[in-house]
Amino acid sequence: MEEPRKDILDFLKKQGFLNEKTRLQDNDSLSETGVIDSITLLQLIDFLEEKYKVQIPVEMITPENFDTLAGISQSVIKLKNG
Amino acid sequence: MAKTSDTCRKCVLDSATPGISINEDTGLCQFCEHFTSLSQEKIKEYGTRMDSLLKSPPENGKYDVIFALSGGVDSSYMLHRIKREYPHLKILAVQFDNGFISDTALENAQKFCALTKSTYMRLSLDQEALQVTFSKAANSFNAYPGAAKYRASDICNTCISIIKQKIIELAIQTKAPFIIFAFSPGQTDAPFVTLSKPILVWMRKLFDQNLKAMGVTDREPYLIDAHLIQPGSYEHEVVIIHPFLIWNYDKTQFKKECIQQGWIDPNLKDQNSSNCLLNAFAIKNHLDKYHIHSYAYDLASLVRQGYMKREDALKKLTIQISDASNEEIKRKLKL
Repeated sequence: MEEPRKDILDFLKKQGFLNEKTRLQDNDSLSETGVIDSITLLQLIDFLEEKYKVQIPVEMITPENFDTLAGISQSVIKLKNG
Repeated sequence: MAKTSDTCRKCVLDSATPGISINEDTGLCQFCEHFTSLSQEKIKEYGTRMDSLLKSPPENGKYDVIFALSGGVDSSYMLHRIKREYPHLKILAVQFDNGFISDTALENAQKFCALTKSTYMRLSLDQEALQVTFSKAANSFNAYPGAAKYRASDICNTCISIIKQKIIELAIQTKAPFIIFAFSPGQTDAPFVTLSKPILVWMRKLFDQNLKAMGVTDREPYLIDAHLIQPGSYEHEVVIIHPFLIWNYDKTQFKKECIQQGWIDPNLKDQNSSNCLLNAFAIKNHLDKYHIHSYAYDLASLVRQGYMKREDALKKLTIQISDASNEEIKRKLKL
């Protein structure tokens, strides 16, 4: 799970103005901690689809799957492993 | 002695802005350092997808497209071009009346709807409540998350989010398959956004949280009607399209073509808006609160992508609001 997690954090640092000092826990809510809004979320989905060559089905994009580092990483791994 | 700020040598971002750092060795900001331009192949692929969507829209309802029309240069140009390239489209053009639209913008919007045979709709909400909401946005601090503060001011984020929510609501109600926004390549980097119910529920929740953080109590009028996105509600798919990510973005050319079609320049003395009287105040309010110019990120991105000259973008970052205008807006917003 380390690889998507690191890529997501790098993306958020680059695009989402996530402060270098911010320590996000795997199950912290990205929306409630103010790290992402709807536009950043859509950018992140584009980034992950491109990076991991996967198609993220719209039904999968829910707060349960896409509001935490753990949830997003697991979703990407699940798609990658088919 | 305090260190003076540095400006990125490629775009216009400045190290005085919180969150922006300039690499001392390269002279570039973190965005320019990691920037790779979109390949021509990718742009062509997006163009093919837009053609396939807009050339034969599914016959769902009365309209094919719900179009967000401000009456400014970008959206007026886009409406005209979309109708030129896809003349068969049935378009409902929606102009949101935020209480601060210039008379010229109202006239321009109606003129371009008549010109393109699009249906014009002026979307109005309770003006008194809206002014209180903008006033709360002006007084708020950190109601929007990090990245959003760089994209737009708190006032503009509130206004744009209301427009998005209401336009999506209209698309669902009228069964329109497409929504078109005239966002510049600096304002968005996703040419297509497919809206599923879970995304809409989430978008609604996020904006509701922003409004709540500002202290807005009556939030329902600004949000998508919750009944419309319940499980078992609408079934058709809605896709948002941002054509300026596919076409070449040349604002000077757009303005020239719009004027040829009868568009009137309102001369608002605001470098960044040709339709909204509140915009310059909103920029100043944001700069005072966060030391962030709400157009810097957008303009920097346009420069980075080669759509605007650096010197033109720097000019646009100067604040253009007179004391009289500032006071007038403050009086209207009861600040």
